[in-house]
Amino acid sequence: MAAPLAFEKRESPLRGGQVRAFIVGVVIALLLGSILLLVSGHSPVEVYAKMFDSAFGSKRGISTTLTRAVPLGLAGLAVAVAGSMGLWNIGAEGQIIAGAIGAAWIARLGPDLPGPVLITLMLVAAVVGGGFLALGPALAKSRLGVNEIITTLMLNEVAIRVVRYLVNGPWKDPEGNNFPIAPELPEQAALPALFERSNIGLLIGAVVLLAFGVYTARSAWGYELRIAGSSEKAATYAGISLKAKIFTVLLLSGAIAGLAGGIELTGSSDRLVEGVANGWGYAGIIVAALALMRPSGVAAVAVAFGAVQVGGLSIQTLGVPAAIASILQALILFGALSAAVFTNYKLVRRSARSTAPAVAS
Amino acid sequence: MSAPVLQMHNITKTFPGVLANDDVSFDVHAGEVHTLLGENGAGKSTLMKILFGLYQPDSGQILLRGQQANITSPTDAIEKRVGMVHQHFMLVPTLTVAENVALGLPSSRGLRTDLDAVSERIASISEQYGLSVDPGVEIWKLSVGERQRVEIIKALYRDAELLVLDEPTAVLTPQEVDDLFVILRQMTAADTAIIFISHKLHEVMELSDRITVLRNGRVTGHTTPAETSRQQLADLMVGREVKLAPDKPPVDLGLVRLKLRGVTVKGDRGTIAVDNVDLDVHAGEILGVAGVSGNGQRELAETIAGLRPAEAGSVQLDDTDLSKANPAQSRAAGLSYVPEERMKDGAVGEFDVSENLLLINHGEKRFLRNGLFNFDAIKSHCQQLVDDFAVKTPSLSTPTSSLSGGNIQKVIMARELESSPAVLVAAQPTRGVDIGAAEYIHSQLVKQRSDGVAIVMISEDLDEVLGLADRIAVMFEGRIVKIVDRENATKDQLGLAMAGAG
Repeated sequence: MAAPLAFEKRESPLRGGQVRAFIVGVVIALLLGSILLLVSGHSPVEVYAKMFDSAFGSKRGISTTLTRAVPLGLAGLAVAVAGSMGLWNIGAEGQIIAGAIGAAWIARLGPDLPGPVLITLMLVAAVVGGGFLALGPALAKSRLGVNEIITTLMLNEVAIRVVRYLVNGPWKDPEGNNFPIAPELPEQAALPALFERSNIGLLIGAVVLLAFGVYTARSAWGYELRIAGSSEKAATYAGISLKAKIFTVLLLSGAIAGLAGGIELTGSSDRLVEGVANGWGYAGIIVAALALMRPSGVAAVAVAFGAVQVGGLSIQTLGVPAAIASILQALILFGALSAAVFTNYKLVRRSARSTAPAVAS
Repeated sequence: MSAPVLQMHNITKTFPGVLANDDVSFDVHAGEVHTLLGENGAGKSTLMKILFGLYQPDSGQILLRGQQANITSPTDAIEKRVGMVHQHFMLVPTLTVAENVALGLPSSRGLRTDLDAVSERIASISEQYGLSVDPGVEIWKLSVGERQRVEIIKALYRDAELLVLDEPTAVLTPQEVDDLFVILRQMTAADTAIIFISHKLHEVMELSDRITVLRNGRVTGHTTPAETSRQQLADLMVGREVKLAPDKPPVDLGLVRLKLRGVTVKGDRGTIAVDNVDLDVHAGEILGVAGVSGNGQRELAETIAGLRPAEAGSVQLDDTDLSKANPAQSRAAGLSYVPEERMKDGAVGEFDVSENLLLINHGEKRFLRNGLFNFDAIKSHCQQLVDDFAVKTPSLSTPTSSLSGGNIQKVIMARELESSPAVLVAAQPTRGVDIGAAEYIHSQLVKQRSDGVAIVMISEDLDEVLGLADRIAVMFEGRIVKIVDRENATKDQLGLAMAGAG
C-alpha cells in the first residue's frame, strides 16, 4: 500500500500563495531554530524576544536594523532587477567591493574637496565601479551568450583579490600598525547622520528601492523586462532587442550593487578594508529570491533580514552563538521555498475511493 | 459477454471551484475502440489521470476486469495492464527502440538488462500487429509516426490489455493516420481494449465502436457511429448547434498585398527549411498552406513576421521589403501574425490577460501618462478587446495560462487584429482549440477576408484548409509542391502532396 498522503497539482496556483509561503517559512524557521536553541540549552522564547527587542524595541535598534537593510536591500535590488528578466547576477558581492574601491579612489584623489561634492563624486564612482565589474559579464552574455552566473561569480574572486592587493600594497595605511587597511577617509567624506546610527544612506537606499519598485512595476521598461524574462520569442516578437536589454540590465544590476558599496564605505565605515562587502552581496541573492525577483518586494524582505542579523548579534550576550542568526536566515529561505510548493500542490488523502458503495460486478 | 476490461462508475472529481468530472460512467470491452470525445476542459484528461492514478476521485469507482481496482500511481496502472500513449512522446532520442522499451522494466533495475531478449519480443510484437519497427534503431532516426508506434510497443510489451491513446492523430499525416488506424484495428482484433481520445470528428466516426461525449465534466451522450453524425457529435460536445464550416460570402479578389519571390530560409539547425518559395496573396483571399508540420511552414511564417531573416529572396508587403525586417518593422508595414506556438511565442503564460493584450503595442502613447503606464486607459482598452472578441476570462488580471486554448487564441487574435492589418499570417489558428472557439476564430478569419485582408492560413488540418481557403498551397520539405484553387482540390490529392507524393 502506498503512503496515505500524496501531492496533487492544484488546478491553478493558490492566490497570494507566495506571501503566505514567506510567513510559513518564517514560522518554520523559528520552530526549527527553537529546537536548535533548546538542544543548546537556551530558552527560545527568551532568545526570540531578545532578538525582536534589539531589532525593533528601541529607536537605536530600529536605526541599526534599517542601516543594515540598506546594503541588503540594494544588493537584493541588484539581483532582483537582473532576475526580473531571468538573469542571475551572483556577483553583487564583488560589485559592492568594486563600488567601494571606486569611492575610496575618489577620496584619495580629492581628499580636500568639500563634503557634498566629495560624497557625490564618491557615490557616482561607486556606481561606475559596480557597473564596471558587471561590464564583462554583460558584454559576454549579450554578444556571445556566455553564462552570466559563471562570469559574475568568478569576478567576485577577482574583486576580493584586488581589494586585498590594494589594502596590503599601494593603498596600505602607513600608520595602520601593519594591518591590511587603507588610510582613514577624510572626515567630510562621511555621510551626514540622520538619526541614531542611521545616515543619509538610508534615504538614498529607500529612494532607489522605491523608484525601482515603482518603475519596474508601472513602466513599459519594467514590463519589457518581464517579457524578456518570460519568453525570448515573445520578447523578440514584441519588438524588444534582447541583446541591448541583457546588456543594460546586467550593467544596471552591477551599478546598483556598486552603490551599496559606496554607501557602506561613506556611511558605515571610516576606511576601505578587505571585508567591506561583508557578505551583503550573497545575502542579497536570498533577499531577491524571497522577494520573488520583484524589485517592489525587496525592501520589506531586506528589513526583515536586517532585523534577523541585528537580533542575531544581540543574543550573543545571552551566550548564544551569532551563527544562529545565519542559520535562521537559511532556515527562512528553506522554509519559504518548501512552503512555496503548496502554492502549486496540495496534499490529498489516498483512500478516497472508499466513499462509494461497492458495486457487484 | 464477459466483464468489460474497464468500468468507471459514477466518477466525480472536483477542484476548487471546478467540477472536473461529474458522475461520469463508461466502460470499455475487450476488442473495441471506445472514443472519449469532448472539448478541452470537458474532463477527458481528468478522467484519464484518475484512471492512471495521478488523481484520486472524490467518489466513484474503477473496475478492471470486473474487480474493483485502487490505482495509486502510473506504475500501478501499468502493473494492472493499463497502457497510455501520451500526446507528447516519452522517449529518449539517443537510445534505441529496445533500450527505450527496456527503460523502467523491472528487470532493468538489476545490474543489466537482457536487451537481446527485449529486442526479440519487440520484433514479435511488431510483427503481430504490423508495426514494422526495428528494435535496434535510435529514436532520433524515426519519423513521428514511427515514434508513436514505439510508444504503442512500450505499452504492449508491458502486456497492456487496455490502451489509452491521447489525441494520437494530432501529430500525424493523413496517411500515417490511416496506418495507425489499421494497427489499432489489428490490436482490437487481438482483443485489446482501446480508449481513443480525440476531437477530430471524422476520425472518431471512422474508428470508434462506441463514443462517449463529455461536456463540462458530464457525459452528454453515449452513442455509436452508426447512430450519429458529425453534426450531432459537435452539437453534443458544445451544447448548442455548431456551424462546422463557416459561410463564406463571395469577395472580389483585390490587389496582391503580400508577394514572396524565391524566399529561402534556414531552420534552427542551419539546414534549408524554406526552399525558394514564391507566393502571391491577394486582398480578400485566404491562402491555405497545408502540410505536415516540420516542412517549413513555421519558418516561412516567422520570416514573413520578421522573426527569422531570409537567406535569399524577397518578402514584399505592398511596397515594403520585409525579407530582413524585424517584427516591429513588419507590423509597421501592416502585418499581423498569429504564431503556431501560442503559449511559447504568442503569449506569456504567467502574464495576465491585459498584459498579453498589450504585448506588441505597450509603448504607444495612449497607454502612458508621465512616462508610466496609465492603467485606466489600459484597462478600458483591454476590456474593449475582451468584449469584442468574446474572450471568456474571469477578469483581466487572470493569468493567461489558466484560460483554455481557444480563449488564449482569442486574446492573441484580438491583439493582432486590433491594428487593422493589411496581411494576416495565422499559423495553426485552431490547433488544440475547442470547437466553439474554433468556430468563432474561423468566423473572424472570414470577416477579415470580407474586409479585404490578405490572409495566409497555415494548417495541418485539411478539413480546416478545405473549409476556409480560397486557394491551397501544399508545403513539403520546404517547397510549395502544389498550389490549387479550392474548387479543384480534393482531400486525397492534397494528402498525397503533403506526403511528398503529389
